[in-house]
Amino acid sequence: MGIKVVQRHGGTFIEKIYLHAIFGGMKTTLKHFTANLSDASNIPTICYPEQLPRDITSRYRGVHRLTHRKSDNTIACVACFMCATACPAKCINIVAIAREDGVDEKMPEIFNIDLLECVFCGYCVEACPCDAIRMDSGLYSVVGDNRESFIYDKAKLLSIKGISKEEFSLAK
Amino acid sequence: MSTILILLPLVLTILYSLVTVPILVWMERRIAALIQDRLGPNRCHINGIRLGGIIQSVADMMKLVFKEEFLPSHIKNKFYYMVAPSIAFMSAFLTFMVIPYADNITIGEETFHMQALPTDLGVLWFLAFAGLGVYGIILGGWASHNKYAILGSMRATAQVIGYEVAMGLSLVSMLITYGTISLNEMVAYQSQTFFILPAWGIVLQPLAAIIFVVTAFAETNRAPFDAAEGESEIVAGYHTEYGAMKFGLFFVAEYIAMAASGALIVTLFLGGYQLPYLTTNDLINNFELVLWLIIAFAVVTSLLFLRWMKKHNIFAMSGLNETKVYTTVIIAFTIFAIIVMSYYALGFAHASEVGVMLLQFAIFTVKLFFLHFVFIWVRWTLPRFRYDQTQKLGWNILLPLSLANIFITAIVVVWVNY
Repeated sequence: MGIKVVQRHGGTFIEKIYLHAIFGGMKTTLKHFTANLSDASNIPTICYPEQLPRDITSRYRGVHRLTHRKSDNTIACVACFMCATACPAKCINIVAIAREDGVDEKMPEIFNIDLLECVFCGYCVEACPCDAIRMDSGLYSVVGDNRESFIYDKAKLLSIKGISKEEFSLAK
Repeated sequence: MSTILILLPLVLTILYSLVTVPILVWMERRIAALIQDRLGPNRCHINGIRLGGIIQSVADMMKLVFKEEFLPSHIKNKFYYMVAPSIAFMSAFLTFMVIPYADNITIGEETFHMQALPTDLGVLWFLAFAGLGVYGIILGGWASHNKYAILGSMRATAQVIGYEVAMGLSLVSMLITYGTISLNEMVAYQSQTFFILPAWGIVLQPLAAIIFVVTAFAETNRAPFDAAEGESEIVAGYHTEYGAMKFGLFFVAEYIAMAASGALIVTLFLGGYQLPYLTTNDLINNFELVLWLIIAFAVVTSLLFLRWMKKHNIFAMSGLNETKVYTTVIIAFTIFAIIVMSYYALGFAHASEVGVMLLQFAIFTVKLFFLHFVFIWVRWTLPRFRYDQTQKLGWNILLPLSLANIFITAIVVVWVNY
């Protein structure tokens, strides 16, 4: 490999009087201005409440949801506390009880996520061995008028629908 | 009649300086947005009427007016602190007083000047008050008792001293070319023809025009010479300690100073209120033809604008149906204007003089707003100059260039005339 000689700019007379470059830059901005003035439909701005974001995919980390088992449509979570352990914000609160219907050994009695504490990192989803918690709901806007309304309980988390193809838990 | 004609330039001065400020703020935002592929302000409305976003700047001004007027407790010189924004504002406002908005109008025996201050010393008045504007900035920065503020005002001072010299010298070459210091006579001079081009200042003296435009940018502390309020280095520069309407006055003063510089550039270099190739007398003598052309122009532009609006005004707000209201207003206004114009053309004693005067106001306004567009366009194109680059450009390049320009101009003028 030889030495690469980089061409230096700014030495010639035309470059030294600036005006050439200034008019070049002004031409570029004027092109944008006239193009956008004559046809504003090419502007990528989304006028938010009327137009919704178009880039929410199934991999977008939205509000959590708890999945169901495909076999009997019951909760997939086995209350192993892996998500609560992985959570850096300590926003998941689980109370486990024994499962009486014979499908599995344990299930959560209480499964609360405090969305005001949550940092939406997705570690709980990665930690889950049962594919029971997911963030594929596509919900990017969580609103409430008091603090309690941001604590999502088990029933609420189970009721949220996902936007990905797999509706049920993929765990065996 | 005569009272109206005497008061008219004063009213126009207020219109061009104060009333255009919300429009300028709106232009600044919209043009910046369109240059950067954004939409700009389009939400603020009064019962569904948005006027394309102008309501937003009205709302911003209301906010500044109704904010609490506080006085930081560390400020010792309260008088200077309070008076600084007013100086900046007043001097920017007074700069406008000498700009001729139309040619002198003769009705019967009397001649009326279309300048708010009918003086022949227009250029000197402009230089005096444009230079005075920086006193507000210096005083504000010093009285704020704040390091960022004093740094900003020092920068503004050094910059204005450097560029005022080049500005004055480039003006001198224009004075030699026109052979007068009365702004109205300069505009009259520019109605001549220079070979095939109109004898506008920018054609006769391109170098002086460039120097003057560059120094006008520096004089008004506009980008790319806005080191006095360099946000990335010194917070907000000279108005760091100001809030509410005291800040608002600085803000408005910047826009009025920009408008005044634009008006002087139009007057000196772009033929003022003149149309190219046509003197005021040509217009007065062929007024009926001019009137028909204006009517045709009004109809065509309003139709084009209605088509453009139908395509772009798509986000409806709650309240009135905006597009419908605008369409009605524009069509009604065009028809009204046509009726008034034909009525006056037929049965009014001094129709042609008054009509040409109004036409010249319109021409001046169009040229002024083109200059505003250029100011805004440059701001959103060029990055800020580094401080030493500003000084180097002012003292090492613009000053010798303007001096050389004076010599060349003087030699050419003497050679042509004798």
